[in-house]
Amino acid sequence: MQEMPLRQAATLLLEYAIRIAPPESREWGQAMRGELNFVEGHWAALMWALGGAGMMVKYALISIFIPGRGQGIPPGDELFAKNVSLGKAALVGGAGCVLAALLFFGAPPFRQAFRVALRPWYVMFQIPSGDSQHGFQALAKRADSQHDPEGLAFCAVRIDNPRESARLAEEAVRLNPNLLWVYAVVGMRHPELPQTGSWMARLEQWDAQNSLFHLIEAESMEFAHYRRGVWTPATQEQEQAWQAAMAAAFQSARFDDYLERVAELNRKVIPHYGFYDPYEVESREQLDLPVAAFENSQRFAKSLLRSGEDLEAQGDRKSARDKYWAIARFGQMVDSQGRTGFEHLTGTSLQAMAYKALQASSERGDNGAEAVLFGYLAAKFDPVSGEHPGFPRESAFGLNTARRNAAVVQISGLMILVCSALLVIAAAILVVGRLSSQGTRPAAGRAKPVATLILSSSAVGLLFSSATLYLTYRPYWYIFQSAVLNGGRSQARDLIYFLNETKLPAGVSPRSYLLVHSLVYSGSPNFLFYVWTGVTLLGLIGLALILLRHFLSRPSVNRLQNHPRVP
Amino acid sequence: MKSPRISPETLRVLESFLERPTGWHYGYELSRETKLKSGTLYPILMRLEKHKLLEARWVATQDGVPPRHTYRLTPDGLELARTQLEEARSRWMVRQPALSRG
Repeated sequence: MQEMPLRQAATLLLEYAIRIAPPESREWGQAMRGELNFVEGHWAALMWALGGAGMMVKYALISIFIPGRGQGIPPGDELFAKNVSLGKAALVGGAGCVLAALLFFGAPPFRQAFRVALRPWYVMFQIPSGDSQHGFQALAKRADSQHDPEGLAFCAVRIDNPRESARLAEEAVRLNPNLLWVYAVVGMRHPELPQTGSWMARLEQWDAQNSLFHLIEAESMEFAHYRRGVWTPATQEQEQAWQAAMAAAFQSARFDDYLERVAELNRKVIPHYGFYDPYEVESREQLDLPVAAFENSQRFAKSLLRSGEDLEAQGDRKSARDKYWAIARFGQMVDSQGRTGFEHLTGTSLQAMAYKALQASSERGDNGAEAVLFGYLAAKFDPVSGEHPGFPRESAFGLNTARRNAAVVQISGLMILVCSALLVIAAAILVVGRLSSQGTRPAAGRAKPVATLILSSSAVGLLFSSATLYLTYRPYWYIFQSAVLNGGRSQARDLIYFLNETKLPAGVSPRSYLLVHSLVYSGSPNFLFYVWTGVTLLGLIGLALILLRHFLSRPSVNRLQNHPRVP
Repeated sequence: MKSPRISPETLRVLESFLERPTGWHYGYELSRETKLKSGTLYPILMRLEKHKLLEARWVATQDGVPPRHTYRLTPDGLELARTQLEEARSRWMVRQPALSRG
């Protein structure tokens, strides 16, 4: 049924190839076309046409790239010169592709992209290097052994374990007292640490007028009420201490979260230790005001508002407005001097709250013009509808683009691995075939065309995947450079979205991933070890059987062709 | 001057021509005898023809079917084929002494 179309396809293919061939070769193309009608079997006819078309295309390409060779005879037109076959051309092209793909590994963005692409497999197979905390711990050990205070401080502000974080911070400050600010950053992340009180006391002497320490103190007091998962109500003394800490924060002249110093530390430590981990940027996001600082500020601001309303009710409008202004000033300070989205949100929401109170106060005082101004400011700083949104919209690409790019990066990384494996297998087959053939064409050579095809297509696939991986990841590399080395926050959100998406294999929902992960690791912790050992052993046995079969069949191979008859 | 080594594929083609040294051969027939694919066989024929070791002619077929190209070795080609095959056989026998004795 399908035989006629096959022969028609063969004829069309060969006729088209003759058309594009150089004029000197066309007669030979016509010769093959003439024979096509006598080829027995339609599949054989198609193979005949494919061989002829390949030859015509080769001559066409040669005549384009080497004009002097347009004589219809391929390179090496001496009678005894070895013919340059398509197979050899494919091998040379494949080698070029592999070389070009290897050059990509010389580019740091590509190396980082490759690590990111393999991230889900690191996580899946629980390879320690995929865990950024493991990287920090290893780095901390190196910094400890080198007595490097900056390396220790770098790890202290990132390590999740509060005790280890505190130990590293104290060691860093002991070695270099100028790194005292590290206590503030560690305190922000771990306000529950018992050392927080003494650290903040030292910091208040070192950097007076920074409201951050008072916010951390207040946060630390909040944690004091939380023991073993239960909140206990604050005593009167504790509440007074909290109020005092918050009042001091609101009265402070400055707000510095020390993220500039963290960025400076990054610039020194990351190149020194070669710690180019893009997931580090993600961990840097945690270097933010403690979540409760927002609630604490809101709670304290509300208490000031209530106090102001009471004063207004008593007729002391000036003192009441002073309290409202205190809230606005603190909000403005955190908003303008803060560096993170959360700090901006805290600042703007406090300002909106204060300007609303001032608007109401002006309306009560029959000052219409002032009320309009405060109304405008309250609307402007409204975190929801205002033109000054709390969380800056740092994402330029959006979540969908991040998801798509993460999928492209992961698939490219996987394709690089698959193509590399195929390349190695095909190259091994070719080498074994060549060694066993001893310069002639043995039966082992039957595998050569297939191996050549696999090798050349894998090489092209490798190059294509490498180029795709590089080009897709390149924008994130620049964001990473800017964020980690220069402290830039522009588009950091895009990098974080992207990195989050790379933690799961492309197209796998978190639920199914967790299910598979829990199934795989539910039994023996060495389950994967046994699985992969089994797979490797089976592969080796298969390879040994193939080689055994190949060598056993050698003596009977093409004896006739190696022993030409003489008439 | 020592002549360069001939490729095994060309040897097979020459060997096939020597089956009927003065006869005309079709491309498909040569391909079947030598087990060479069209993409390998025809470049060899082209080279032989270019060096005047092979002559080619077109043979008309029935109406509607393209003519066929047919080939035979020239006297120079015949001489070369015999020499080369003899040399190849000597080389092979030197390499395989056990088989040559048997």
